[in-house]
Amino acid sequence: MDKLMADLKEQIIEQLNLQDVKPEDIGDDQPLFGDGLGLDSIDALELIVLLQQKYKVKLSNAEDGPKIFRSVRTIAEFIESNKIPNA
Amino acid sequence: MYIKAASNISPQNTFGNQPYLSELAEYTGEQLTCIEPEYKTLIDPKLIRRMSRIIKMGVATGMDCLHQAGINAPDAIITGTAYGCLADTNTFLSKMVQQNEDALSPTPFIQSTHNTISAQIALLLQCHQYNNTFVNGGASFENALLDAMMLLYEGTAANVLVGGIDEITANSHAILKRMGLYRRFPVSNFELLNIPGEGTMAGEGAAFFMLSQEASGNDWAKIEGVSSFYKPRSIAEIQQHINTFLLTRHIDINEIDLVITGNNGDLKNDTVYGQLQQYDFANIPAINYKALCGEYPTSSAFAMWLAAHEIKNGVCSFVPQSNQIPLKKVLIYNHYQNIHHSLILLSAC
Repeated sequence: MDKLMADLKEQIIEQLNLQDVKPEDIGDDQPLFGDGLGLDSIDALELIVLLQQKYKVKLSNAEDGPKIFRSVRTIAEFIESNKIPNA
Repeated sequence: MYIKAASNISPQNTFGNQPYLSELAEYTGEQLTCIEPEYKTLIDPKLIRRMSRIIKMGVATGMDCLHQAGINAPDAIITGTAYGCLADTNTFLSKMVQQNEDALSPTPFIQSTHNTISAQIALLLQCHQYNNTFVNGGASFENALLDAMMLLYEGTAANVLVGGIDEITANSHAILKRMGLYRRFPVSNFELLNIPGEGTMAGEGAAFFMLSQEASGNDWAKIEGVSSFYKPRSIAEIQQHINTFLLTRHIDINEIDLVITGNNGDLKNDTVYGQLQQYDFANIPAINYKALCGEYPTSSAFAMWLAAHEIKNGVCSFVPQSNQIPLKKVLIYNHYQNIHHSLILLSAC
């Protein structure tokens, strides 16, 4: 789980081209949207693409988005519980 | 109407508080690329992360122009671009192919449209006024300028931000080179016009202007007129356009103090300028501006920035024999690929 969260932080920074942000600047439970990292709705779309490309995990219900993308930890948990074995 | 402010990112040091073209940048090769400022001091870093190079160039010059003019809310934002946001278009199309049209990143698609720059400026300003982008090859900037002038003449706008922007990307340069637009052998931009040959050097740039119907007392120059024409069949037809353009404004060609022309070193391209410089423009000091910015479809925006600067300074900086003449009227004549031809006339305020 720790390795997955560390990977996710690097991938989020790269995918969203976050300037002057390092992986250690993102807390495991820090909110990604709103007052936290300050991501917005376009970033949410980018994160959906990231999960699909890197982890072959699809978000089937858009209403689950706010809960899944709340923090790096919640994204990692979603990946762990939805990943296809050996994918 | 009046040019209240102007801002320019180009292959020369033209942005910010740089001395006006005091040291010209030399390029040897096939292209002249923009000297860009540190954008983090100009645009919110949260927004920069989604912006490609052309968007940053356009937004920075547009915002700088507004800042210079002291205007936070223009009545219209109008841009002209032939190719639009090519880097984002290239990224999006490449990903479509690579990923078999699946799981595509939305950002390059959103940012790839031609109107991204005018839209980004509007978003930054929260400006809900008239917003338009003209995409018409080598007449894109002229169309944008004409639209701005009509809005001002009609009185539906008091202050209009208008700009011309185009960028070079590796792919666009390779494609246009294959079409024969650029030199096959490296040449210096300082020598480009002295060694005519097949093709020219590519260029790029972003130039914005704040136009106003009312004089502010501190304006750079006055725009007397703009006219564009398409695929003239002969030199006589071009001469006729120039004569009509000046005649309708009650100006004799001898009243023009400086002509800024679009010679680009391409033998095929420069024939028209050569004939005009031999006859119509024979007695008028001339500047060939493409040695400074290269060839691109909206380069006339660079020429207008140059003309406005020359008028603001009051003397012609580039033609030694004329540097004592107080500049009153400057005519820009340019054509792109001998397809879109244009005339822009500026005068002192």
